[in-house]
Amino acid sequence: MSATRPLDVAIIGAGFAGIGTAIRLRQKGITDFVIFERGTEVGGTWRDNTYPGAACDIPSRLYSYSFAPNPDWSHTYSGSQEILDYIESMVGEFGLRGRIRFGHNVSGLVFDQADGLWDIALEGRETVRARTVVLASGPLSNAGFPRIPGIEDYQGHKIHSARWDHDYDFTGKRVAVVGTGASAVQIVPELVRQAAAVKVFQRTPGWVLPRLNRPTSPRTMQIYRQLPITQSIARQGWFWGHESVALGVVWNTPLTRVVESVAKLHLRTQVRDPWLRRQLTPGFRAGCKRLLMTSDYYPALQRDNCTLVTWPIARLSEHGIRTAEGIEHRFDCIVFATGFDVSKTGSPIPVTGRDGRVLADEWNKGAYAYKSVAVAGYPNMFLTFGPNSGPGHNSALVYMEAQIDYLTDAIGMILHQNLRTLEVRRDKQDRYNERLQQRLTATTWNSGCRSWYLTEDGFNATMFPGFGTQYVRQLAAVDTDDYLLTPADTESVIGTGDHAVAPFG
Amino acid sequence: MSFDFDDMLAKIKARQWALADIDWDAPGADLIEPELHAKLKPFMADLMWIENVGARGFAAMAQKAPTETLSEIYRYFHAEEQRHANAELALMRRWGMLDGDEIPEPNINVKLVIDFLDKYADGMSLSFLGTVIPMLEVALDGALIKFITDEITDPVAQEAFKKINADESRHLATDYAVMELLGHSTARKLFIDLVGGWIKPSLLIGVLSYVPLLNKMRDNVVEMGVDEERLYAAMRRFKAVGERNPIANRVPMYRIVKMHAGWVINRDHPYHLLADALVKITARVPDRFLGPQPTWSKELTYEPVA
Repeated sequence: MSATRPLDVAIIGAGFAGIGTAIRLRQKGITDFVIFERGTEVGGTWRDNTYPGAACDIPSRLYSYSFAPNPDWSHTYSGSQEILDYIESMVGEFGLRGRIRFGHNVSGLVFDQADGLWDIALEGRETVRARTVVLASGPLSNAGFPRIPGIEDYQGHKIHSARWDHDYDFTGKRVAVVGTGASAVQIVPELVRQAAAVKVFQRTPGWVLPRLNRPTSPRTMQIYRQLPITQSIARQGWFWGHESVALGVVWNTPLTRVVESVAKLHLRTQVRDPWLRRQLTPGFRAGCKRLLMTSDYYPALQRDNCTLVTWPIARLSEHGIRTAEGIEHRFDCIVFATGFDVSKTGSPIPVTGRDGRVLADEWNKGAYAYKSVAVAGYPNMFLTFGPNSGPGHNSALVYMEAQIDYLTDAIGMILHQNLRTLEVRRDKQDRYNERLQQRLTATTWNSGCRSWYLTEDGFNATMFPGFGTQYVRQLAAVDTDDYLLTPADTESVIGTGDHAVAPFG
Repeated sequence: MSFDFDDMLAKIKARQWALADIDWDAPGADLIEPELHAKLKPFMADLMWIENVGARGFAAMAQKAPTETLSEIYRYFHAEEQRHANAELALMRRWGMLDGDEIPEPNINVKLVIDFLDKYADGMSLSFLGTVIPMLEVALDGALIKFITDEITDPVAQEAFKKINADESRHLATDYAVMELLGHSTARKLFIDLVGGWIKPSLLIGVLSYVPLLNKMRDNVVEMGVDEERLYAAMRRFKAVGERNPIANRVPMYRIVKMHAGWVINRDHPYHLLADALVKITARVPDRFLGPQPTWSKELTYEPVA
């Protein structure tokens, strides 16, 4: 890489989003890009989440890119290794490995107004300059330990679900699992097979739907391979099936009761003890927190070597967990299946935009963006899985693909029209977010429960209040009316809106 | 509303204690006279079981709480009542009242209340639970626990009951604040709550379990050689809440519970003919009429470490 000539595109993160962006850039004829990856392998969240039982709860057919179809998914829902293999296969197929700079940890982004370039600070390395930046670091990239008093006092083995210790042998061990979210319900059935005793510490139970995971027959795979249209039809089928679920999951409707009834029936058929059933029955509407998809969790909880603990955790002690009923539960190992530090109130990387503004400061009450991909004051920078881009009912990859298509179009515009900057207008961004937050008030996520979707103050910075179709449609084309455009080598502004102002003014 | 529920929750979280904080083998277990020792065993068993019943009551209230903070407070109270029961069981163990790993059987009146709560508590409104549970707590806190702290010189028991009392004082403060919160409801809501609650047949079963339980408790107190006035003084304190706080007095269910408390402490009231008869009748209820003991009532343990 030349020290003098800036890159056209710098992509931060070699997870699903970063790799997808690189593929689409290449397909659109943009080839001067580099992916900066802090790890030594590709895969992001799927590289990090290798705990036993790790799998996706969206069908693989849909949890993959339409522009990189895979006929070989072995099951309806794939395990983490298969997903990781898919990401790696895309890297190989599209010849991206040479474009990935492993071990490059981006420590900061600063916009240079004079040159209209981003300075990308790299830990222990020389700063790199780029015309455009794609922040594909993802919201689920940093493992989060819960804020429990005495967490440092515990002297036994500690494992976070997103940083699994594969060298630790659970055989004959007493194990605690803290958390009962999406990771925990996958880990627990695996652990009860190995450990001597497992205690699962639950704060609030989630709605659990059965997961019907069927193997894909070789014949089906062959059909998909020979007639790609069939795979595309299958994908559409899954997409519309999930879209219909939005009617009960995104908004509180009579269909929400139907979803709850299915989950209650599932609970009733799998759990006999009425008190255990009561402990596992959520006190909030389905969809308010992430729906859990598993048919193995409830049976695992009822195994002789497994106990569900619902007493509030008072603190961690040297040997285990003290709960409010006054008992110290002792363990050889505590597994924290407590999710991630989701970037709801700050950016994962320090970002300094135009006029010295700092993104984390602007987002300290809750992150926001324009259509989740661009932020006013930060020209030529795009986000994948940015604020309010989360689906509660459909595949994140469908949403991500729409973002990638949108931002690669915008990048194409900057490069092909030789723009110095492309920056979303503040007024457009504000109006978008005003409407978005208004629409969010009617959703299940804002219906009163506490979840990782919301900030401490109850601000929803993560979810998109609508159908996937609506999300995809809003990103179908880059509307230049919504942006301030500055051509290279001039201070003038190309802008058709009423509020067009010189971005460097 | 001057009561700060968030502040209370923070206080509750900050003041958690565990059975492991107490040295159950410390000297002083032999300070109990043999005569008292014999009477103390059924008394402690009842006390421990009533704490467990209170725990289940709070579990139901957690589901009814109007805010997430109050719900969380009740989740803690549920666990704390269980902690008290566990600590009382640990004391029984310390005093050599348990045979091996034995957990004493609840008496028939407690069994009836357990059965009732298991079946119906989750369906009761906050105004019902929020007035009856404080009444039971006042009676417990004011009479039974006070009796123990006055009569038992064992320093370990003193230490345990000091902690239990501190928890109970937070429970009562919250209970009263919730009664005041309920009192702020509109007259229409209070009326609907009252009528809606009383037309349920389950409430009759509840009353038929609750009435003999109170009189049975009184019998046990008397059996111990304690002046029943102690129990009555505690119940008078429950009556006094409404006099101090006219808003709480607006809650019709509070008034009913208060009126009932008035009958209980008046030994000449004809109510006792019924209540005493119910104690006798319930004593003869065969076990087979009761369902199996729910699993929540089997979580008691005297072991500080699991």
